[in-house]
Amino acid sequence: MPVVNLNKTHAEMAADIIRDAGGEVVGRTRLQKMAYLLEITGLGADFSFEYRHYGPYSEQLANEITAACFWDMISEVEHTAVWGGSYSIFKALQSNPKGKIKPARKEIIDLAKDANPITLELAATAAFLAKEGDSDPWSETSRRKPEKAAKYLDDARNLYARLLKVKTPNPLPAI
Amino acid sequence: MSFKRQRIRDPLHNLIEFPDDHFHHVMWQVIQTSQFQRLRRIKQLGFSDIVYPGATHSRFGHSLGVFHTARKLMNIVKGHLDRSHDYKDTDANTALAAALVHDLGHGPYSHAFEEVGKRLNLVMANHEKVTDLLIRDGEVSIALKPLGGGFASDVADVIKKAGPSNIYAAVVSSQFDADRLDYMQRDRLMTGTHHGVIDLDWLLSNLEVGKVPYGNDNEPVGEIETFVLGPKAIYAAEAYLLGLFQLYATVYFHKATRGAEKLFTELLAKIIHLVKNGSTHKTGLNENHPLIHFAIDPENLQSILAMDDSVISGAFSMMANAEDRLISDFSKRLRDRKLYKCTDIRECLSQKLEYTPLSKSTRRKNPKALSEHQGAAQSKHSSNDEKGRIEALDRASNNVEKRLMDFATEKQDEIPKILVDKAERSIYKLFEESKGPLNQIMMKLGAGDSKPVDVASISQVINAIAPFKAFRVYIEDSDKKTKATVENIIKEEATRCR
Repeated sequence: MPVVNLNKTHAEMAADIIRDAGGEVVGRTRLQKMAYLLEITGLGADFSFEYRHYGPYSEQLANEITAACFWDMISEVEHTAVWGGSYSIFKALQSNPKGKIKPARKEIIDLAKDANPITLELAATAAFLAKEGDSDPWSETSRRKPEKAAKYLDDARNLYARLLKVKTPNPLPAI
Repeated sequence: MSFKRQRIRDPLHNLIEFPDDHFHHVMWQVIQTSQFQRLRRIKQLGFSDIVYPGATHSRFGHSLGVFHTARKLMNIVKGHLDRSHDYKDTDANTALAAALVHDLGHGPYSHAFEEVGKRLNLVMANHEKVTDLLIRDGEVSIALKPLGGGFASDVADVIKKAGPSNIYAAVVSSQFDADRLDYMQRDRLMTGTHHGVIDLDWLLSNLEVGKVPYGNDNEPVGEIETFVLGPKAIYAAEAYLLGLFQLYATVYFHKATRGAEKLFTELLAKIIHLVKNGSTHKTGLNENHPLIHFAIDPENLQSILAMDDSVISGAFSMMANAEDRLISDFSKRLRDRKLYKCTDIRECLSQKLEYTPLSKSTRRKNPKALSEHQGAAQSKHSSNDEKGRIEALDRASNNVEKRLMDFATEKQDEIPKILVDKAERSIYKLFEESKGPLNQIMMKLGAGDSKPVDVASISQVINAIAPFKAFRVYIEDSDKKTKATVENIIKEEATRCR
C-alpha cells in the first residue's frame, strides 16, 4: 500500500509532491514522471498510470493538480518554452502540513527534480515497461522514442542507477 | 498472383473499396478473421440506442470507415512527400492497417466495460491492451504476415503511440485522425442528431503537411511533420471542435445513456464479486456462461474474446431470475429500460447560484426581504464575474460530491441508493503534459512557408470552449426520501458557496 495519510484528499496529495520538492516543480511532464516513480516505489498516493505519448501518465493526477490549483494549494503558471510550445511551473502556496518528509521520498523527488525532463521521461518509461513485463525495457524505450533515446538514453540509464540506490518501500524494477 | 477487388456499401461513406492489390487483399483477409468479425457484435455507442434508437451501429462499420478515411488522409501525406520522393509505402501501409484494427480489443459495451475493469483492476478490460495482444499474436497477426515478419508489431506500435511520431502516425493519432473524423460523422448520422456537423471536404481540402517544433517541458527535441490547416479553414476548424463539444453534451454523455452505464457497471462488478467468492449460483447465470468464465479467469484473452454486447444483453433475462437482488433488479432495468432517475447536480447548482428575482407576493409581504435581496444581488453582480460564478459552481460541486459519497457509504445497502456520475472532457486540450503537435491543431496564417500557430491562439471561439462537465446523481424513482436528502444537500451547498 502507498505510504499516505488517509485523511488527506487526493488534491492535497498531489500538492504534496510540489511541496515536498521544495515548493516548485518545473514542467507537467516532470511532475507526472516524478509522481510515477513515487507510485511504483510505494511512496505515492495511489494514482493510477497508463502509457501515453510521454510515457507513464495519470489522468487522475492531472485532475487533482487542477483541483489543487482551484483550492489555492498550489499555482500553475504557463510559460512559453524555448522550442515554441508551453510548459508549466508549479508552486506550492502552502507548506506541507505534515512537516516531515520520508527520506526516500525526498531522495526520489530531488533526483527527478534535478534531472533533464527528457532523461526523466526515458527512465520512467523504461520502469513502466519493466513493470508491464517487458523483458528488455531499455531497448523498447529506444524503439519507442528513437529521437529522444539517441541523445539521452545513457543519461537515463545513469539516472535510473541512482534512483535504484534509494532504499524505497517497494524496489524499482532492477533493469 | 492476382487478387480480387472487393467493395462494401457503407451508410456514411457509400462505397468502401478494396482494390485488387496485395496490400488490400491482406486487409480483406484481416476483416475475415473471427476477431475482426466479432466487432459486428460490439456497438459503437454502447447503450446510446436507448436514447437514439438508430444508434445500433457497430465497431465493425466504424473500423471500415476509419480505414477509408485514413486512406484519404494518407493521400494528403503522399501528395506532400512525393514532391521530395520521401513517401514510404511500408510506413503508410502500417498506419492504414493500424486504422483498420485499432478497435479490435473492445469489450462488451466498450467504455462501460472499461469502467468495470478500472474499478476491479482487470487488465483485460482495457481495450488498448487487448488490441495490442490481438495484433501481435493470433489470427490477425497471421493474416498480416504476408506484409512482412515484423509488420504486425509495427502496426501495434503505431496504435499504442509507441512508434516514432511521424506524419504517417498522425493519420491514426492526432487532432485530425481518421478515428475521430469517422466517428463524429458516423455517430451523428446514426443517432439522427443534427448537432455536430463538420465540413469534412473543406477541412481535407485545406489540410497540408507542415513541420512544427516539439519538446518536453522546456527542453527542445526537434521538429516533426504533422497535419497543418490552411488559413481558409479557420471556421471549419471552429465548427469541428464545437461539433465535438455538442456531441459530448447530446450523445456521448447523455444522462440516460450514462445512467444505463452506471447500472451496467454495478451489475458486472457484482457478478464478478460473487463469482470470485464462490457464489456463482447467485448470479442467475450458468457456470458455462462467458461472463462467468471471464470472472473466473479475467487474465485470459479468450475469456474477453468470448464476450460481446449480444452475449451480455442476451443474458439479462437469465440474470433477472438471479438470487442476488442487485443482479436481478439491475438486469431487469437494463432489459426493460427502467433506469434510475437522473438529477443533474451541476444544472441544479447552476440555477441556484444565479440571481433569482423574488416573487411579487414575497415583495408585498416582506419589504425588508426585498432590500436585503437587492443588496445581495448587487454585491453578487459587482463581485462575481463569470469566472467567479464557475468557481463557485465547481466548489459547490466538490462539496456536494463529498457529501454524496458520505451518504452512499453511510446508507450502504445491497442495492445502492444513489449512483454518482462525475466526468469532465476537454474538447481541445491545449496541452496535457508538454504541448505538442499531437494535441494541437496547427494553422498557417498565410501562404507559402509561414510558421504554423496553434488555432486556439487565433480563434476566440475555440479559446472560449470550456471543458464539458457532467455531475449527476441517479436515484431509484420511488425513493422519495433519498431524492429529498440529495435536493437538500444541493440547496445547502449552493447557499454556502454563493
